[in-house]
Amino acid sequence: MDFKLTEEQELIRKNMREFADKYVEPIAGEIDENSRHPAEVFKKLAEGDWMGIPIPTEYGGAGSDYLTHILAIEELSRSCASTGFTVSIHVGIACMLVLLNGTEEQKQQYLLPMAKGEKLGAFVLTEPGAGTDVMAATTTAVLDGDAYVLNGTKTFTSNGPTGDTYMVFAWTDKAAGRKGLSCFIIPRGTAGMSAGTHFQKMGLRSSQTSEMVFKDCRVPKANLLGKEGAGLVMAMAGFDHGRVGIAAQSIGIVQAALDESVRYSKERIQFGNPISKNQAISWMIADMATELSAARFLTYHAAWLKDQKLNFSKEAAMAKLFASEAAMRHTIKAVQIHGGYGYCKGAKVERLMRDAKITEIYEGTSEAQRMVISGNVLR
Amino acid sequence: MLNIVACFKWVIDEAYIRKGASGALDFSAVDYKISDYDRNAIEEAARLKGLHGGSVTVLTAGPPEASKGVKDALSRGADQAVFAGDPTFNQLESSQTAAILGEIVRSRIPYDLIICGEGSSDQYAQQVGPRLAENLGIPCISYVQKLTIGEGGRIMAERRVEEGVEVVDALLPVVVTVLPEINAPRIPGVKDTLMASKKPVVTIKKEELPAVGAARLQTLGMTAMRMERNGEIFAATPEGIVRFVEALQKKGVIS
Repeated sequence: MDFKLTEEQELIRKNMREFADKYVEPIAGEIDENSRHPAEVFKKLAEGDWMGIPIPTEYGGAGSDYLTHILAIEELSRSCASTGFTVSIHVGIACMLVLLNGTEEQKQQYLLPMAKGEKLGAFVLTEPGAGTDVMAATTTAVLDGDAYVLNGTKTFTSNGPTGDTYMVFAWTDKAAGRKGLSCFIIPRGTAGMSAGTHFQKMGLRSSQTSEMVFKDCRVPKANLLGKEGAGLVMAMAGFDHGRVGIAAQSIGIVQAALDESVRYSKERIQFGNPISKNQAISWMIADMATELSAARFLTYHAAWLKDQKLNFSKEAAMAKLFASEAAMRHTIKAVQIHGGYGYCKGAKVERLMRDAKITEIYEGTSEAQRMVISGNVLR
Repeated sequence: MLNIVACFKWVIDEAYIRKGASGALDFSAVDYKISDYDRNAIEEAARLKGLHGGSVTVLTAGPPEASKGVKDALSRGADQAVFAGDPTFNQLESSQTAAILGEIVRSRIPYDLIICGEGSSDQYAQQVGPRLAENLGIPCISYVQKLTIGEGGRIMAERRVEEGVEVVDALLPVVVTVLPEINAPRIPGVKDTLMASKKPVVTIKKEELPAVGAARLQTLGMTAMRMERNGEIFAATPEGIVRFVEALQKKGVIS
């Protein structure tokens, strides 16, 4: 058993730390406040090959492994969970979907510019009436000559307003049930596809989220990803990858909460001593550090399984479940440690606590993770 | 074709040093990094290569663990590395480091320009650059904030000296020590780091080098710096404000 990262992984992690300190940390508060997509940061992320770490070089990526991608998401999220997430869903779901299921032409045309960071990917599955219950979706894709015609409304689409390359799921044969959902690659600007306005959210505010409306949207047959009817299986595999990314994002949030809590509790003097000298505070920090380590091991293990080409579906769900709930628990504690100061805008822990909540919701709620895990355990 | 050698030291990252009991420094959980100004040295070498072509060799003497630093240096635009690694190279003095680097450069690396940081992030003795030049019998231009390669194998350097800037012109080969102002070191991209592992590294064992002279310095102790703060509180009354202004005048903050 080897817990050691490679020298390259350690260096890449450190370089991302430096990148995040220099370009992301200083604007994280502002982009949260203004719900702004930091295009200038994504340009720099692209230059540093951060937008396609596990994608092979022939498809525009850095040609590294999934664990290295996870380390980068963790470090980026430590400064800004929104930015970390945007990279995570772009790489972990959009790029991975095309890498795993696309034809050579689709990889050259769509994956390559995404992995280079020239185009931003989006995952378009959720509908107003279909969250965890994916089968309740109503968006349809009807074959008409050489094209599919899509109709329906999607919602909570991350990178909806800012995306370039959308992975859209629609029914090609509703009667076929689990074998009736298909996935289409739809580039921005396709007639009949439009993004709604960016939702104002509690947290993760610089990540752009919107409705996506499809009205007689004609998509060439060549843009069908994988086989017709394979959509559900591909979406679930996409989630497996994405969930490890959300776990990494959550670890980044907990690490930031710990950093802030350690620093503040040593500085804050009450009753003549730093509050870190109080057992009530130091035990909160002990629990935070312990669960951070546990979450990290679960997450790295899931990524390691993926890199070993082993099944990691259950482990991805476990990592995501534990890390996201740890993020929520400990950001609440971090605000508690900061007292009134932590409740005010401008305190990093205030943003961390708002950002943490979504990690328990998207890419499968905690309840959905428990369904996946128990389904595996009780099989 | 310009042959540039950039020297670096693999040092403790001071961000990880903690203050232990009774002010002693606690090194138990430290990580390492390329010394800050040496990153400027490597960056300058890569920058000049980008402008004039040529080749950049990064050079270090250190403990075997510094192999990670070699990869780090190679990810910053260098073409190859020479690494003198030995467990006893962990605590080298400036004179010893300069002797080792001098021997390696003389015997193994073609050079026109050797760039060092002005001093290391750990000891900051600022001696390796000048001693290396002395060892090789070539000029040293220290504290350089701007470097230009001119015609006919000449180099122009702006040295920051106490009361201004001295502009120096010299015939290559020279040793230059650089200030942090000279450039902004890059943050290597993912591919830079991955490709660094594929670049050639010549590893030199201690036995392949002439014996290094004995250490002449002995470290007796190392403690954290204490910063004394004088907090003086003035009352918000007319008398208090008068005393406040007087105190500021006395300190020379206002006149």
